[in-house]
Amino acid sequence: MTLPKGFEALEPFVATWAASSAAARDGLRSAQTAEARQAFYDAMKPLLIPALDRLDSVPLSEHDAGEKALGLLTLSFAHVALAIEVQGPDEAKHAINRQRLPISRASADS
Amino acid sequence: MNIANPAFTPVPADDVAFLGTRPIPAKPYYDADWFELEREAVFRRSWMQIGHVCELPSSGSFIRRELEVLNASLLIVRGKDGQVRAFHNVCTHRGTQLVEEAQGKRPTFSCPYHMWTFGGDGALISAPDFDSFGLDKKDCALKQVAVDICAGMIFVNLSKDPTPLHEWLGDLAEQMETLPVARATTFSEYSYDIAANWKMAYDNFQENYHLRFIHPRSGQSACAPDNPFGYPKEYAFHDPHRTQTIWTNPDPKPAPSLVTAFSRLAPRAMEQGLMATPHARKYFALFPSFFMLGTPLQNFVHVVYPLTATTSRGVIRLYWVGDDANASERFGREAIMGTARDVHSEDISIIEAGQRGLNSGALDHLHFQTQEALCRHLFNMVEAAVEAYQAEQAV
Repeated sequence: MTLPKGFEALEPFVATWAASSAAARDGLRSAQTAEARQAFYDAMKPLLIPALDRLDSVPLSEHDAGEKALGLLTLSFAHVALAIEVQGPDEAKHAINRQRLPISRASADS
Repeated sequence: MNIANPAFTPVPADDVAFLGTRPIPAKPYYDADWFELEREAVFRRSWMQIGHVCELPSSGSFIRRELEVLNASLLIVRGKDGQVRAFHNVCTHRGTQLVEEAQGKRPTFSCPYHMWTFGGDGALISAPDFDSFGLDKKDCALKQVAVDICAGMIFVNLSKDPTPLHEWLGDLAEQMETLPVARATTFSEYSYDIAANWKMAYDNFQENYHLRFIHPRSGQSACAPDNPFGYPKEYAFHDPHRTQTIWTNPDPKPAPSLVTAFSRLAPRAMEQGLMATPHARKYFALFPSFFMLGTPLQNFVHVVYPLTATTSRGVIRLYWVGDDANASERFGREAIMGTARDVHSEDISIIEAGQRGLNSGALDHLHFQTQEALCRHLFNMVEAAVEAYQAEQAV
């Protein structure tokens, strides 16, 4: 898997974080350690806007494998950012009840 | 020109005094006998939202929905003529449920037991060895249920002669038609099962008194020094429904990723003409257990479906106009869904804690303050419906 040029720094996160459904991405948020979440967040945050700009330049239906993977990383970031930016030290406790609200459908999954 | 934001003033007690101030009996929030009354008095006589037309895109499209409170399995179908109809998912031969799939597309529906086959209009088309029954096919159509559509949302009513949906909704129907949900083509969805009476679950979402305590992190932008509880600006009552106009914090501090999400969603929403909806700050609470907030970038619908006297299921959908147009919109929608779900997930255990307390029978009454007026109104409406039903039964 090769991400688009300029996003090489995110290559180490593809295997773990490029999950293909919203439910799986939410599951990763809960299953990964606080350190893993923070590392992904720190790597992704400065690249989020450039990634969205880069991906928006190509229609979704024409994304190649690398662009699809980068897109999935932006979606996992949406979940992880909630843990880092909102829940902070309460994330582990928050995850317990969050699991009780399964995601059955997301626009990105269709 | 700078115009100072006027200080927030909570809705005064006098404005909701007509609802009364009495303590509310606790038993209807856990008692099985009362719940049995509600099944008939409230749920069989009310329009229940169970889907959206975007789930029925073409002729033969169908969805199956379970309404446990009425022991009903429903089949909602778009027929060859484009009409949406609702039927009991019950073969008229011997009652077998016709469809197991939650959704799909079929020209006909065949009972797996003896292959009675029905059209999308509910008519019995064929049945093996039918002459042996001595029946007329026209008398064997699927049992139809009243169905109607408002703002793209599909409502059903299982009473024999329901008030038409738009009459029942009154002015709220036209208001809801202005919201993004009316033009939605897809949605995101999550749900929860909860050990709580439907009113206990529902009430949590129609008062803001709890926000600062239960949502200290996720609810920060809803509160400010001059409105520390994040109370609404206004309540309005449209019996049996109600609305609140949510307050706009002049100095919100949303999480950085949420700012990105909104900024990435806004351009297309502007293109689609979604940003100038006049009722975007209105929180619709339709009787008995439907909520909707139709802001331009986040039109969510939340329905609490009763299961038993002390268990319920909540289904939350975020409706979107058009498929994801690009990666930015896809990111924004994922972030908005995650944010809403984070907030809802914080409510579940505290609602259940309240239910456990009531189940003990320790309390004869519970109490609603002025800013819990919508909860009081719901109980008043439920109580009136139950009393009317009991009076009818007594005749």
